[in-house]
Amino acid sequence: MNEQKSGQSFMYNLTIYIIGFFLFCEWLLPLETVTNTDDVTIFFIYAAFCFFVSFLQVQWWISMPLKFIGLAFIIDGLYVAERIFSRDWFSVVYNQIMFNIQVIQTQEWWQMTPLFRSLLFLVLLWLMSYLLFYWLVVAKRMLLFVVMTFIYVTVIDTFTIYDGKWAIVRTFILGMAALGLSSFAKEMDKESIPSAWYKRVHLWIVPLVAIIFFSTVAAYASPKLTPQWPDPVPYLQSATGGPGPGGSGNAVQKVGYGENDSQLGGSFVQDNTPVFRAMADGDRYWRIESKDTYTGKGWIDTLEGPTTTYEADELEYKTFTDNVESEEQTAMIRFQQGASFQKLVYPYGLGNLEQTPDNSRFRVHTETGEIDTYRGNSLSRINDYIINYDYPSFEYGQLREAGSDDPAEIRNQYLQLPDTLPSRVRNLASQIVSEEDNRYDKAKAVEQYFSNNGFEYSTTDVPVPSENQDYVDQFLFDSQIGYCDNYSTSMVVLLRSEGIPARWVKGFTGGERIDAQAAEYTDEFQNTYQVTSGNAHSWVEVYFPEIGWVPFEPTQGFSNNSDFFTEVENDEGDTAAADETETEDPTQGNPQQMEEEETSTGSQGGGASSGSFLWVYIVSGILAVIGAILYFTRFRWKSTLLRRRIKRSGDADTYEQAYHFLLKLLDHKGVKRNPQQTLRDYARSVDRHYQTNEMRQLTHHYERFVYRNESQDVQTGKVSELWENLIKKALS
Amino acid sequence: MTQQAYLLQPKISEVIGNINKVMIGKEEAALLSLVALLAKGHVLLEDVPGVGKTMLVKTLAKSLDCDFKRIQFTPDLLPSDVTGVSIYNPKDREFEFRAGPILGNVVLADEINRTSPKTQSALLEGMEETSITVDGNTVPLSNPFFVMATQNPIEYEGTYPLPEAQLDRFLIKMKMGYPSPKQEMEMLSRTSGAHPINSISSVISRDELVDLQKEVDDVYVDRTVNHYIIDLVTGTREHEGVYLGGSPRGSIALMKAAKAYAFIHDRDYVVPDDVQYLAPFVLAHRIILTSEARFEGATPEGIIEELVQQTSIPVKRNIGE
Repeated sequence: MNEQKSGQSFMYNLTIYIIGFFLFCEWLLPLETVTNTDDVTIFFIYAAFCFFVSFLQVQWWISMPLKFIGLAFIIDGLYVAERIFSRDWFSVVYNQIMFNIQVIQTQEWWQMTPLFRSLLFLVLLWLMSYLLFYWLVVAKRMLLFVVMTFIYVTVIDTFTIYDGKWAIVRTFILGMAALGLSSFAKEMDKESIPSAWYKRVHLWIVPLVAIIFFSTVAAYASPKLTPQWPDPVPYLQSATGGPGPGGSGNAVQKVGYGENDSQLGGSFVQDNTPVFRAMADGDRYWRIESKDTYTGKGWIDTLEGPTTTYEADELEYKTFTDNVESEEQTAMIRFQQGASFQKLVYPYGLGNLEQTPDNSRFRVHTETGEIDTYRGNSLSRINDYIINYDYPSFEYGQLREAGSDDPAEIRNQYLQLPDTLPSRVRNLASQIVSEEDNRYDKAKAVEQYFSNNGFEYSTTDVPVPSENQDYVDQFLFDSQIGYCDNYSTSMVVLLRSEGIPARWVKGFTGGERIDAQAAEYTDEFQNTYQVTSGNAHSWVEVYFPEIGWVPFEPTQGFSNNSDFFTEVENDEGDTAAADETETEDPTQGNPQQMEEEETSTGSQGGGASSGSFLWVYIVSGILAVIGAILYFTRFRWKSTLLRRRIKRSGDADTYEQAYHFLLKLLDHKGVKRNPQQTLRDYARSVDRHYQTNEMRQLTHHYERFVYRNESQDVQTGKVSELWENLIKKALS
Repeated sequence: MTQQAYLLQPKISEVIGNINKVMIGKEEAALLSLVALLAKGHVLLEDVPGVGKTMLVKTLAKSLDCDFKRIQFTPDLLPSDVTGVSIYNPKDREFEFRAGPILGNVVLADEINRTSPKTQSALLEGMEETSITVDGNTVPLSNPFFVMATQNPIEYEGTYPLPEAQLDRFLIKMKMGYPSPKQEMEMLSRTSGAHPINSISSVISRDELVDLQKEVDDVYVDRTVNHYIIDLVTGTREHEGVYLGGSPRGSIALMKAAKAYAFIHDRDYVVPDDVQYLAPFVLAHRIILTSEARFEGATPEGIIEELVQQTSIPVKRNIGE
């Protein structure tokens, strides 16, 4: 009999719990749409895992490690390259957490890294699994959760682009089923009808299913009021500068430096994991390599060019000739633990290095500028180094007069274009440069073309070209929305189709200035810049005969970090445009992005930051929900805690606390006691209310404790029994 | 009365049973009288004539197997009429002491406010000391010694109101009140036969009573409860309608009464309920209202009730002094 009953309640609990899990999934589903989360499957899996472990109801010292291991595996799979649970693994995770805690302390929420956000979210799932287990199975409270799910879905549907049409139907069906089941179980419990659960299934399951079915169909088919307000989503999107019209992005990537650029396009998740810190005299481009061959989809490197290997003190790599004026400067690079790669990050005009490890050597790919770092004979990471470099300043007159007499090998390599390039791209190119007569002005015209023609900067909702589509063509004529890769690639392609040698360069922008301090090795002050994954960037180098490669910056919201100047004797026409040391920003007409660029280089576009804010909202929203749950169930979990405490130690303090907790609970349940009422009197009214005499008995014991100063056996005696009974009565 | 009020100390229960045989609906008055008796205090009954004051005292005295004396106070009563007097006995040629009514165990001082202060004080001083002095001889009072004084409400003419300092001597001041019509109906039907007081016998001997009084002394009063008593009495001193608040003697009286009340309920410790219940009876005659408060219709009992409604009960052991 007993076994049968427990079997039944197990089945019942399992059903309710599974329904609860599916309802919880409705909470996770919108995340994919409304946040930058690339794939929520992993969260589903982890949630399912946690729910499962919670349901097993094993001891906490089994379930906690289980859930922790699951969490570690997910973090490992998503973010950490090291072998799981190795020393490096722990140090990477530890560093990330410490960094994020700092970020939180300084309230720079946008700096939080994805690893940490995911970690928090997974912990949240962990907590939720426990809470829902308690709520649904132990407390058997379904209604609140169902109602909250409804509210959540409707709010998300109303205020974001998430379409909750089917979610609401699913929630309705699941909610009805769960409510039906739980009220059925409660009814059975109340009337103490045993074992009807299994035997006459049709008696209750048929009406339940029928009601759910008919009400769902009726609700779905019945006419609905048209929306009473204008849809707030477009407004919200324009307000946050979020994704506008344009192809829907898929294949979300992570921002950062990567080597494979053969397939460009698609949105990416903003990531502000610090990569390195640079001490330099100013904002510099941190170059890594250039690529020469455009495939129609992206960039590959076909030049198996010559390489030369240098020691640190004899290293030199310059992309410009000695005709360019330059100034000797020094910079120091310090990589974040574990963030460096086996390549050198360097400014234009690279000279020798200092303070590198003893046996380090550098293999320079002469064409691309890619510099592999070796220690001995194997590729290796170098975390700290000082660079002496010649910071170039390009003179406008010189650039304009450079002519177009390119060496043959430059023409062979850097005018390549795929045969598939649509002719409208070439036509556009000639149209853009038609009014210019020299190479510099042509390049400048192309560089500014984007900002003058309403191209939009965004990291989200950037389409991937379809199989027959050209990456540049799609950007120029179709989407007109994109980030640095789109702009820089397009500029290179446009220039090349006009016969101007150009190449595509990768590296990092200058990063965010975080400090200024005296340089360690000179008397001057230098700025410290924090460069994060989000600063990964691509730009353009254009070849000028006798001068070399000159950087250009077509991407909206970014400014050229190279130095340009005008010699005063030169013709007057230039002076007006060239007083600034930096080229004109291509940001006119887009003050918002300009501002963001100035305040924080880290957040490159409105879309990305609004995405991460949404994350903050969602996480804080869920935390608020948890808080609310904890608040509303406070008497339940407190009573459980107290019960355990009584079992553990029945000292006077516990006794007093337990009794007063009961008073509070009763007060909360409507049997109020004012402070002037004696306990006896109150106990009488409680007993009247619950039609019992237990409160009087318990109070009698408690009175002897308070007014007689009598110690009592709380743990085993009648007292704890009375207390538990009363708590049960009050909570039911 | 609540169910618990019936869970009385067995001896007391018998006394109450006796009184119930004779009187109808005077249980509370009987209980309060017993409180005063057990706490070695005295009772002042303030009420109009004819509500059963004398009968209550008589019944009580008879139930207790005690020597019952009655003094009817009149304006021309002399102190010696209370204390007794030495009379010359020509046969022995000596003065011999004729004990006055004050030397009984249970003394009913009827209409105490109708006599002159001089005579009043003869009684009241006897209540305070354990002996009286007559003609230079110190005569010890009986043990137990219990005075129940009655007085007409002071609005009546021809009265000498008791001074406050002397009211203090009474542990409890109470009113009998009229019976309800139903009770009065029963009363009428009962008086038709022989008077029931003749049929009752004593249930507690004098020695037993003395023992009970000792046991009352041993009733435990916790710090928490004392705190509550002090809160209440301090409240009377701070109340704006009160000209003169309760004295420390008032606090002691309340504690003693509460002990007796707890004992009567067969408890060996005092709970705040005891104090709450007794406060109006013990404190009301120890405070003097301001004339403004009196003018506004406040009564001492009302103010004590109000304080009881306002004073928080200690419900934790650690009350943080």
